[in-house]
Amino acid sequence: MSDMNQAMVEKYRSSFLKEVEANVEEGHWVKMCMQCGVCSGSCPLGPHWEHPPQEIFMMIRAGKREDVLSSSSMWMCTSCYNCIARCPRGLPITHIMHGLANYSKRLGLQPKNQPTAKFSQLFWNNLTKTGRVNELKLGLSLYFMNGIGPGIKTALKMQDVGLGMLKTGRLNPLEILGGHSIKDKSGLQKMLKKAFEIEEAKIAEYKG
Amino acid sequence: MADMKIGAYICQGCGIGDRVDTAQLASVAKREGKAAVAKEHEFLCNAEGVKMIQDDIANEGVNHVVIAACSRRAKTEAFSFDGVCISRANLREGVIWVRPDTDEARETTQEMADDYVRMACAETKYQKMPEASGEQGLTRHLLIVGGGISGMTAALEAAKTGYKVDLVEKTGQLGGVAGEMYKKYPAKAPYNVLADNTTGEMIAAIEGNGNITVHLNTSVTKTEGAPGRFTVSLATESGATKDVTVGAIIQATGFTAYDLNKLPELGGGKSPDVMDQLAFEKMVKANGGAIKKADGSDAKNVVFVQCAGQRSEQPGHLPYCSGHCCMTSIKQARYVKEAGGDATVIFDDLRTPGADGEDVYRGGQEAGVAFSKGKVNSVEAAGKGLKVNYNDKILAEDTNIDADIVVLATGMVPNSGPNPYVKLDLEMAEKDGNEELAAKLKAEVEKAPPSILNLMYRQGTDVPHLKHGFTDSHFICFPYETRRTGIYTAGPVRRPMDAHQAIEDATGATLKAIQACENAAIGRAAHPRSGDLSFPSFRKEGCTQCKRCTVECPFGAINEDEKGYPQYNEARCRRCGTCMGACPVRVISFENYSVETVGQQLKAVDMPDEFSEKPRLLVLACENDAYPALDMAGMTRQEYSAYARIIPVRCLGSVNTIWITDALNSGYDGVMLMGCQKGDNYQCHFVKGSEIAHIRMSKIDDTLTQLNLEKERVQTYEVSIADIQRIPQIINDMEKLIGEIGMSPFKF
Amino acid sequence: MSEVIATNQTILVVGGGISGLTAALEAAECGKQVILLEKSPSVGGRVGQLHKYFPKLCVPSCGLEIQYRRLKANKNVRLLTMAEVTQISGDAGNFTVNVKVSPRYVNENCTACGECGKAVSAEFDDEFNYGMKKRKGAYLVSHMAYPQRFVIDPRIVAGDDGAKAKEACKYGAVELDMQEQNLNLNVGAVVWATGWKPYDAAKIQPYGYDRYDNVISNVEFERMLDPFGPTGGKIVRPSDGHAPKNIAFIQCAGSRDQNHLKHCSRICCMATLKQTTYVKDQLGDNCKSTVYYIDIRAIDRIDDFHRKVKEDANVTFVKSKVANITGGENGNVILNGVDTEGYNRYRTEHDLVVLATGMESTVPAGVFPAGININEHNFIELDGDSGIYGAGCSSDALDVNRAAQNATAAALRAIQVVTRVAGQEG
Repeated sequence: MSDMNQAMVEKYRSSFLKEVEANVEEGHWVKMCMQCGVCSGSCPLGPHWEHPPQEIFMMIRAGKREDVLSSSSMWMCTSCYNCIARCPRGLPITHIMHGLANYSKRLGLQPKNQPTAKFSQLFWNNLTKTGRVNELKLGLSLYFMNGIGPGIKTALKMQDVGLGMLKTGRLNPLEILGGHSIKDKSGLQKMLKKAFEIEEAKIAEYKG
Repeated sequence: MADMKIGAYICQGCGIGDRVDTAQLASVAKREGKAAVAKEHEFLCNAEGVKMIQDDIANEGVNHVVIAACSRRAKTEAFSFDGVCISRANLREGVIWVRPDTDEARETTQEMADDYVRMACAETKYQKMPEASGEQGLTRHLLIVGGGISGMTAALEAAKTGYKVDLVEKTGQLGGVAGEMYKKYPAKAPYNVLADNTTGEMIAAIEGNGNITVHLNTSVTKTEGAPGRFTVSLATESGATKDVTVGAIIQATGFTAYDLNKLPELGGGKSPDVMDQLAFEKMVKANGGAIKKADGSDAKNVVFVQCAGQRSEQPGHLPYCSGHCCMTSIKQARYVKEAGGDATVIFDDLRTPGADGEDVYRGGQEAGVAFSKGKVNSVEAAGKGLKVNYNDKILAEDTNIDADIVVLATGMVPNSGPNPYVKLDLEMAEKDGNEELAAKLKAEVEKAPPSILNLMYRQGTDVPHLKHGFTDSHFICFPYETRRTGIYTAGPVRRPMDAHQAIEDATGATLKAIQACENAAIGRAAHPRSGDLSFPSFRKEGCTQCKRCTVECPFGAINEDEKGYPQYNEARCRRCGTCMGACPVRVISFENYSVETVGQQLKAVDMPDEFSEKPRLLVLACENDAYPALDMAGMTRQEYSAYARIIPVRCLGSVNTIWITDALNSGYDGVMLMGCQKGDNYQCHFVKGSEIAHIRMSKIDDTLTQLNLEKERVQTYEVSIADIQRIPQIINDMEKLIGEIGMSPFKF
Repeated sequence: MSEVIATNQTILVVGGGISGLTAALEAAECGKQVILLEKSPSVGGRVGQLHKYFPKLCVPSCGLEIQYRRLKANKNVRLLTMAEVTQISGDAGNFTVNVKVSPRYVNENCTACGECGKAVSAEFDDEFNYGMKKRKGAYLVSHMAYPQRFVIDPRIVAGDDGAKAKEACKYGAVELDMQEQNLNLNVGAVVWATGWKPYDAAKIQPYGYDRYDNVISNVEFERMLDPFGPTGGKIVRPSDGHAPKNIAFIQCAGSRDQNHLKHCSRICCMATLKQTTYVKDQLGDNCKSTVYYIDIRAIDRIDDFHRKVKEDANVTFVKSKVANITGGENGNVILNGVDTEGYNRYRTEHDLVVLATGMESTVPAGVFPAGININEHNFIELDGDSGIYGAGCSSDALDVNRAAQNATAAALRAIQVVTRVAGQEG
């Protein structure tokens, strides 16, 4: 357990809910759930969730910190917004799920080898490097996420799609050489660094 | 009254003229019905037809009107003539619409119509115009017992309507439970906030109101009389007494919190930090909003346990839901949140209904109150605090939560007086030698609470209970129609409710109390025969003081004098006629409804001889449900036997067994009684009428045996107004049955 | 129509359902003058369309019969049907109310003999049966209709049917040239009791009310039990007329939901519990009922009814707001969702679904004078001195018992206004 994590546990010993409210994006909505379950039922990936949203909300209230933060459940969300559309209490469930995922990652509690988490990191790295998404590189890194063997297999499977995109000019093979970037790449990176520092400062405050 | 002059008016409209010989009906009315005037009209209910009748009343001295047309339920407004007796022969819904329009049916259809004309003439011959009894007096003054939110509301509302009020409170101050509240829910949206307790303002308004006299530390020692003229004796703790005269009474005696010592498994009585909602409320109020444990330390965690000892079949628990407790716990949990603590509500179903309810629930959630669907198994001491062990139903696991204070949402126990019918049932059981029942009832009588109203009524001192000690009305559509006319209960003594509902309830009860006074002033009946001026009287020389009428009256309206003669109290009477049905010597009658008005009708029917193969079935049908159903059978063209002769009765309870005996002696082949559902879910508008009739009829077998008749010839049915298809079927089945067992030998 | 007499000591009651009838009769029986307005051709309102009341399982027409008898007997009440309020202005003790009276095309001569109905041929959706059945263009609303007078559908007035109806009536009751009338009434107080309407179930798209024949609303289910209703009293699947074997009741269909009605409609839990008893009575062990709920709100002393239903082995309760309904075979549908008691995902086939649609207030916009407070749920808030009082489901989502109570209270508030006026005028 990281120091930060330890600090969080201390601070919110009495209530994981309060921790979520303080640190998770849209976390203050969790208390509004009335356990109807329409979110869980409406989710197209529902059966793949270990704990569906409404249960996660109950677990948060019940103080099941480890179970929630190390769960793969929040990483299942594909942002289809079905749950938000249906929630009778107007909870922004999609956002809460992303917020929880993000928070668990910040605490280093996200499940290892969780594909969504891995892809998210790849995407982030890809984007922040040049300020533009390099689709070719992102695609390839996604294919090879789990090693060379599976990567080649996936690439072969997807080759028709790739060739089609090339033909219609939707994919530039030259992007492999580094690709285009935004005008002020270093500016962006400074900005992101600053943002990260601010976030860290927030966490540092809790560390204190 | 001038000499009786019967005018019979026979309508030919709606096909009546095509289906029956109306000239013959006119002749029947004249020759047999002794009508002085008998006129046919092609469209009697139109302006011209009505005018014809009015002219005869005005110019010819007609004072008894027979309308042979449609059902008494149709065109009632058109055929309403002041100052004359009216009898309706139902030729449309009751004859032509229930019979096939065929040549074969023509003869029996005509016989039906002839008989209904005979019956209507016979009925009206024995009717008199109801006249006021002379008992009336207008007393615009109410007695309100109970100075809580319900009683105070009633007092203020009555005063606002121009009525004077005596408000009696047994303690030394007004306010009741509402006065103990730290905060309340607002009376208006938005409901998701808490408002200040305004009971103090209400008390000030009462004290400053010249129409309201407050009696503190006072109880009611005696209540005598009837609506419009109740005399009530009040006594203070110090022994001072005072009599007041009031027109009606509202009992708003509220509730007592269920004894939490009966819930040791939930820590009740074991720790001072396990308390009920009322104790919690008082504690927060006393501390000005701070949440403190019994030892004076701050409470950080408060757990609310819903449905504590209620919604439970366990012996000693309350089987009902008290309705307000979810809302109350949410409010109290918000006190905790406002004081900086944590509050958790453990519930089974979160019951916050209506528009305000859901706002309150959301408001609690917004304020950070935690809600957990679960079942609490135990509350135990843990260190300096408490531990609540429960099954979390969402996470499906047994778990626990620490608490500094546990609030048990226990139920409301009504502060009603003793149920008079337990005592009366005990008398009956002792008389019948039913020892087991008597012992049970005796135990119940012994633990009964002291009387609240001390009514000097033949049927006991207090308002009857409905269920679980609540004095509610059984009727869904008529929430205020209880069994003591002019005495209305309001607030949680009636059914579990919150303050908001109690205010509505008390306001409604105030209207009913005012209405009772206004009705009593002019001799009008209360619901369901609203406006009826007829009133029972008895021939004293014939009375045997058997007391059946005083015992059977469903409304406890009749007292006994020192010699045991009945004393009717017009304004208490609901005019159902159950007393008339009860009287073995037939001395009780209403001006326009009596043993004769019905008895003569059934005797007026032309009785074909035994060999005619035309049986006669007498149907005594409750006018509230069975008769309308028969009408609707006509409207929907359900056919039934041409041999049935239907007489509407006010209530099956008004059926005197002499009618059955007379009918059998006159040669009727079958007698059918149709009343409303009896028993726990009774639908009888007079509460007990149908049930009493069933009991009486269960004893009719002796009469039948004496007459050497088959028991099946007399049947009693429970029907509803929706039995539009079933009732014709029952009648047809009876006709079939008579076909099997044969005609009555009593046709002379 | 004879002249309508109103003064500022008159109480106007708007709406002739159970609340309006109660308010009008209670006030009239206190000796006050009352005008009772009803928009449709007959009083009786929603309760007249119900099979039974909970928890007694008694028949609503039983109470209505008493109310109608009180109405017939009381000369203090003037009833106007087919009348709608278009505007109210003024203050407590002195309101001016504009009323639009639509033509019935049948005058007071009508005896309800039914000849006009026999003479006409075109058929229309029967409002009394929520369009589940057809009625003629000359019709009686129901056999409990009061006033017991026929009404002619405006759609036949100009055509052959109109002429046929007129010709069939021997009593000169059909008046095809009857015109809309506008009245200006001066009244002292107003009791507003226009009641509720079932929430439009089609708006809850995932439940497919408009896509699947066998998804119906609770009010429609109620009509099925009427022997004179669309199915002759039989509980059947609309798709094939067969008796269902496995019914789902979905609670909070439109209630407690910020996407639909934010408020709890109070009655739906009890209504569903009641409807499971219909299923039991008619189909016995041949049909199961499953109730999908969030909270069962069987409040106060009628909770014992809830417990009694729970004891029925053929009724199952699932704590879940159903997520969606998809089509299955043979007209069956599949309910998808999560039972939140212990997280059990289900995909359950049912052959009939009854949506417990909520109560939507019918309080109109633009009719009331300034100062009348209508809350976000569209209910009229109580203000003791306003002179306009909501009663029944114009004041909150209420069951029949509470509506009658509330209407009685509203009647007293109205009486207080006219009593004050009478006092001032000596």
